[in-house]
Amino acid sequence: MKKLLLLALIWCVQMGSPSALLHAQTGNEPLVKISGEVGAALSLGIKDLKAFKQIEVRRKDRDGKDHLYSGVSLSLLLSNSGVTLGKDLRGENLTKFMLAEASDGYQVIFALAELDPEFTDRQVILAHQVDGQPLPAADGPFRIIVEGEKKPARCIKQVTSLRIEFAK
Amino acid sequence: MAAARNIIFLLFIGGLLSWVACDEVPLGEYIFRYPAHFGNRIQVPANNPTTKQGVYLGRRLFYESRLSANNTISCGSCHMQEKAFTDGRKLSIGVDGLPTDRNAMSIANLLWTRKFFWDGRSGSLEDQAVFPMTNPHEMGQSLVASAAKLQATEDYPPLFKIVFGEEKVTGPRIAMALAQFERSLISSNSRYDNYLQHSDTLTTAERNGMVLFNTAPDPGRGLRGANCAHCHGGPKNYLELFHNNGLDLVSKDPGRASLTGLDTDRGRFKVPTLRNIALTAPYMHDGRFDSLEEVVEHYSEHIEQSDALSSFLQNESNVKGAHSLRLSVQEKKELIAFLHTFTDTSFINNPEFSNPFLTTRKLK
Repeated sequence: MKKLLLLALIWCVQMGSPSALLHAQTGNEPLVKISGEVGAALSLGIKDLKAFKQIEVRRKDRDGKDHLYSGVSLSLLLSNSGVTLGKDLRGENLTKFMLAEASDGYQVIFALAELDPEFTDRQVILAHQVDGQPLPAADGPFRIIVEGEKKPARCIKQVTSLRIEFAK
Repeated sequence: MAAARNIIFLLFIGGLLSWVACDEVPLGEYIFRYPAHFGNRIQVPANNPTTKQGVYLGRRLFYESRLSANNTISCGSCHMQEKAFTDGRKLSIGVDGLPTDRNAMSIANLLWTRKFFWDGRSGSLEDQAVFPMTNPHEMGQSLVASAAKLQATEDYPPLFKIVFGEEKVTGPRIAMALAQFERSLISSNSRYDNYLQHSDTLTTAERNGMVLFNTAPDPGRGLRGANCAHCHGGPKNYLELFHNNGLDLVSKDPGRASLTGLDTDRGRFKVPTLRNIALTAPYMHDGRFDSLEEVVEHYSEHIEQSDALSSFLQNESNVKGAHSLRLSVQEKKELIAFLHTFTDTSFINNPEFSNPFLTTRKLK
């Protein structure tokens, strides 16, 4: 009998779900999830990001003009999450990469060595401000800014997830 | 008279052959065939490897109307092969006679798809298949009821045994077999495919359309374009993206926001494949545009500047200061001519994807 009730419940949920989906609420706080090969997965909001040391990177945007972006070094964020950077970025850990995903589904990857200050002086940050203002809604609230990279394709907007994985 | 006798004889033999064809289930690993430039980022779950017998069963289930509450609707009712597996309606009509929430999507090259539905709510074909089967405005039948109906048939339990090792029909197994068949629906033989592989040529208008398709407009540098490739580029004419493409100032349908709860995801929907796009009218999540002309007109003249409009569409124009593409009449025609080169007639006529019950007997 219990099983029947459970099945009936699952059926009701399934039958009702599409319409329920159309009436879901908006207004949630945007978060960036850091997961995968990390000490412990976590999600950061804008307040959490502001608690880290802030740095600035200058680069051109699509308008062809220089802009000053403020945010947190990705290496700092990832080290804080237990990702194998610094003295631990050696051996098989050099086959790890970070898959960044945006809310529109766009994905780009960075090898961990591209983000580690012991490998490169180039700053890659998770920015939340441009020219002293919060990022525009369609770009933010979080955007990766890659210092000095010629193409802007990896300056991924509306970042929702940073996932560390091993190359298989 | 002799000719008539021969025809009757041939029909008789043909009939026999089709009975045999139905009973001879192919066995073994199913090999996907596609051009190398499609890439190998394919999605096959470890617990549901694709087999010839699985695809065979899945095809029959795809066209099996007993999977609906009143035995009248199959997956194939709203996903018709001749329309590249769409149904030509703004919204589909389910067993209760009421319309669905959104337009039926084309199902081609799903082997490379990671998120399904207009809002991307489903992460696999196995999961996806459950929604239309159980939605009251679609097939309207619980998986338990579907499994029980098929279990009571003569033909399905032995088929499930061949595919899954035992005769027991279950909801998850129905979904797994359907997913296997859907992964086999590969479209890679359009004129555009053949052009990319140097075995066909495009007309001048089509080539001009292709340049517009692939170029971002930049009036400052005198570059004219439609920038379709930003979201529909690559040899598959598909990138897995979700965007608000400026249809409404305030979207009635929350789209992806129904899953994420984010304001910036409101009215954001899956960017559909452009493969066979000339066959899959009407267009958009609600089927609001009847023709490709209307679609191009939207991007050219009517992008709504809502808060959730995707950033790449903001101020994207061939005219400085304008908010929509502003293509010329000729450019629109050339663009549409190019879109027609994505039509794959061998895909919509492939007998391996067709309703098997039209050529072989129905399963008892």
